[in-house]
Amino acid sequence: MNLDFAAAAPSFPYILQGIWVTLQYTLLSAVFGFIWGTILALFKISGIKILNWFAIAYTSIFRGLPLIVTLSIVYFGLPQLTGYRITALEAGVLTFGLNSAAYISETIRGGIMAVDKGQREAAMSLGVPYRPMMLNIILPQAFKNILPALVNESIGLLKDSALVSTIGALDILRRASHAASTSFRFFESLLFAGLIYYLLVMILTGLAKLLERRLRRSE
Amino acid sequence: MSKVSEQTQTTGSADATASAIKVEGLHKSFGKLDVLKNINTEIKKGEVVAIIGPSGSGKSTFLRCMNLLETPTKGHVYVKGHDITSLKTDIARIRQDVGMVFQHFHLFPHMTVLENLTYAPIKVKGLSKEAASQKGLELLTRVGLRDKADVYPNRLSGGQKQRVAIARSLAMEPEIMLFDEPTSALDPEMVKEVLEVMKALAHTGITMAIVTHEMGFAREVADRILFLDEGRLVEDAPPAEFFTQPRNERAKQFLEKML
Repeated sequence: MNLDFAAAAPSFPYILQGIWVTLQYTLLSAVFGFIWGTILALFKISGIKILNWFAIAYTSIFRGLPLIVTLSIVYFGLPQLTGYRITALEAGVLTFGLNSAAYISETIRGGIMAVDKGQREAAMSLGVPYRPMMLNIILPQAFKNILPALVNESIGLLKDSALVSTIGALDILRRASHAASTSFRFFESLLFAGLIYYLLVMILTGLAKLLERRLRRSE
Repeated sequence: MSKVSEQTQTTGSADATASAIKVEGLHKSFGKLDVLKNINTEIKKGEVVAIIGPSGSGKSTFLRCMNLLETPTKGHVYVKGHDITSLKTDIARIRQDVGMVFQHFHLFPHMTVLENLTYAPIKVKGLSKEAASQKGLELLTRVGLRDKADVYPNRLSGGQKQRVAIARSLAMEPEIMLFDEPTSALDPEMVKEVLEVMKALAHTGITMAIVTHEMGFAREVADRILFLDEGRLVEDAPPAEFFTQPRNERAKQFLEKML
């Protein structure tokens, strides 16, 4: 078998440095997608026709486009319109965040609807206005219900972030490709990249389990 | 927002010296179903009113119209002189003065018992955490649950939950308390502890409107009984009169079944 990890090993530290890049994309996209997704979910349940319509159309568009197409439009296409040379980080976070929000808004909407109507009435009867009621009473309960789905979403984001290697970001995958074309050890370098992704996903899953257990305390 | 509330505070308060809640020509329908039909009544400050009637008679809907959890289809509801059916009224401000206790408690499950009590006073009234906690602990003592301050609601029995819910409402220092079948979801042995708390409350001079199936309690505590049947207010009498010589035929039948 033509395998030589020793020959590929000198480039491993270089590949490992990509972890921070990948995590940066993942984290920023997750935060952006989460906030925007929550707002979209509130649009969907708002009872205001134009907001309902917007959120539904939005979700439909992002669900209907391959992520790499959206990413290419944002990175290669937008500068033509705006004249602003968008960085890979901005394009990546924007694309993944917008896309993730579309998916996550459905989940969050479901989570909000699943919170007992009485919670809202209790808050209302205490004179709590809409915003604090949503932020302090409804959403915390909704998020707890959908935590597993949210973790899956961030795992998806972590894996999708590998797409930024196509727009020149030096993430794990891009570095592995570089290393491979230098050492000609393609299998070893890419397998190493795959291993890193796998471990990151496992760590994320573990953290989520811990968090979930903490939240369970009040149940 | 404070401007709006000041306005709603002043308008109409002149004619409201003795009236806590006034209901005029109240109609409520859900689609084709008429749940409340032309209800007119008044609850005076400090009065304890029990609302009774067969299930499906519209009692709960009637009560829920008093803090606009249900929006009347027609008619007016005045709380302390403010027409809460008017869009100009700052309903959140009015609700601060109108506590509500629900059949299924609706405690906030992600907050401790004390946090349940302090949340609205801190968030809505702007009380400091210390002041709200102190007030909260006093109220918990009053309902006999001082030792449960730091537990989560899921650790409480039904009766305890309802007492916490009452305390949570009282933490906003409301002038009016609405009770929507507060003991209907409780095991029989827990009904008493909740009724005791309500009884003590009735003696403090707070205005209370109580939807209940507890006839003994209504008779003992209420100043007035409102009897609803098929969405109409068909009898309005002091308990002594209502329970001994109801005028309305439906009320008679109802009492025969209940007592």
